[in-house]
Amino acid sequence: MRVILDQVRKVYNSGETNEVVALERVSLAIDKGEMVCLEGPSGSGKTTLLSILGCVIAPTSGSASIGDKKIARLPDHFRTSYRRQLVGFVFQHFNLLEERSLLENVTLPLYPLGVSPKVRRERALPLLRRLAIDHRRDFPVRQLSGGERQRAAIARALINDPPLLVADEPTAHLDRPLAAEIMEIFAALKAEGRTVVIASHDPLVFTHPAVNRRLALVGGRLLADPSGER
Amino acid sequence: MTPHPLGRLLNILDYALSSLRRRLLKNLLVFAVFTLVVFLFASLLLTRGALGDMAGRLLAAAPDITVQQLVAGRQVPIAAGACERLADIPGIGICRGRLWGYYFDGENGANYTVIGLPEAPERWPAGLSGAVQGRLPQPGERGKAVLSTAVRQQLGLEGRRFFSLFRPDLQLLSFEAVGTFTASSDALTADTILLAEADIRHLFALPEDQAIDLLIDVVNPLEIETIAAKIADRLPGVRVVSKGRIAKTYRAVFGWRSGITATTLLLALAAFVILAWDRASGLSGEELREVGILKMLGWQSGDIILLRFCESLLVSLFAFLSGWLLAWVHVAYFQAPLLRPVFLGWSVLRPQFPLLPPVAAADLFLVLAISVAPYLAATAVPAWRAATVPAHSVL
Repeated sequence: MRVILDQVRKVYNSGETNEVVALERVSLAIDKGEMVCLEGPSGSGKTTLLSILGCVIAPTSGSASIGDKKIARLPDHFRTSYRRQLVGFVFQHFNLLEERSLLENVTLPLYPLGVSPKVRRERALPLLRRLAIDHRRDFPVRQLSGGERQRAAIARALINDPPLLVADEPTAHLDRPLAAEIMEIFAALKAEGRTVVIASHDPLVFTHPAVNRRLALVGGRLLADPSGER
Repeated sequence: MTPHPLGRLLNILDYALSSLRRRLLKNLLVFAVFTLVVFLFASLLLTRGALGDMAGRLLAAAPDITVQQLVAGRQVPIAAGACERLADIPGIGICRGRLWGYYFDGENGANYTVIGLPEAPERWPAGLSGAVQGRLPQPGERGKAVLSTAVRQQLGLEGRRFFSLFRPDLQLLSFEAVGTFTASSDALTADTILLAEADIRHLFALPEDQAIDLLIDVVNPLEIETIAAKIADRLPGVRVVSKGRIAKTYRAVFGWRSGITATTLLLALAAFVILAWDRASGLSGEELREVGILKMLGWQSGDIILLRFCESLLVSLFAFLSGWLLAWVHVAYFQAPLLRPVFLGWSVLRPQFPLLPPVAAADLFLVLAISVAPYLAATAVPAWRAATVPAHSVL
């Protein structure tokens, strides 16, 4: 699914003394099945860009679309609906509910869709098996290791079979072997035809062979590909 | 994928239940306080209902009209011949003098109600024979008595049959207990000694031509109030008490007492609702994070509000049902030990009649309306506040 941003600007606290311009006229096109790595120092606007791509927030100006869906001017209700259908999120801090079981966490996006417990389980178990954490399905998340948590977060992002995966620093809290494993999972997902956008500081991520493009954000502006390739 | 409305509701209900289990201690506390408040309210209504029913059953056996002679605002014996002055009022069925009084037992600090049994068996109250274990004094028989079990105990008659009562001139009269009132008549007879009319007249030194009051039965119950007014006109200085007026008095007394208690309980309920508001409105960091994650994963604000509503509904509804059930057990099984003194006052010989709370949908809805509804209202705004937590707060 093709993702397009055109002249996207995002301003927080507009018109106030603490106004922050997070993104400045960012234009970007990502093709279906492409894996893009987004680099940049803290405060450069990476998370804001991911949030706009992930239908979490709306840009202040400019246009954005995922496939044929225009997402820039949508009311919150529709943006949430598109987010549920189109985007799988993987967070830096996993954002799992610690006291709930792995299976519950993975199936959380299915609850408001009215999917029955049986079907929820049927959809989650193959994902857990694929990510090699099915033996931990009934464990509360607080008992899982860092690697298992990140796999759980990926399983949760995939439960609705989204065409676009957005990951914010997915390897930040993992040791090298685990980080490499996670990148192999993303590479496999890309190979299935999913579009993958990863924000990361980690060289292991942006040097991974599956990454098609590297983009750099500085002060809210998109710079040329830091690797020199387009 | 289009959300399935029923499946969505069931899933959110399922999630709400598991959330309540996870915050077990906090929710148990709210549940316990809520149950206690409902229990007290429901006990109050059930006790009042049971007493009202009992009063209704007692009044069914009461005479249509009672006529009492007053002097300086106090009741005094009435001339038995007064019945003759009422004979020409149309609609009066039977008019007869009644002999009864209170006997204070100084030794035990108890008051007995002493009632005279008419000579003619056809004037005995209906069902009297069935309410006595043993026998009644026979017509013309003197010195025999029927007592309640409580009076027997007060007089120390276990294993004895004879007891003595003082006349006003301190002459001691001896009686033989030949019967005991059954437990089923306890509401009417808990403090009663039944004697032949001749014995009671002798005991209280009442002149032959006087009775304590007059009992009147009216042919058409719809005319009771009209006939009562005519009697009041015909006999100056009397108080005419109709069955309807006694019923009103019962209702007023129970209503007043339950009103006072209800006011106190309403204050407790108000305090509870404030507590619920306070607890629900202060969202913890963990709760905020959970809402942010759920919204990030595609839960709509409406889903979060429904989730919070389900949590509140589950707590309040289960507390309501538990409170009501406990109240029922308290009143019907344990006979309302917490509230009975409020309604019945203090007495050495308290009637031990069974409280049978009526099933009144109005009472059920009243308690529902003043407990569950305010709780849901108190948690509505905090639920909305939780639902407005932005999804990007977890990024």
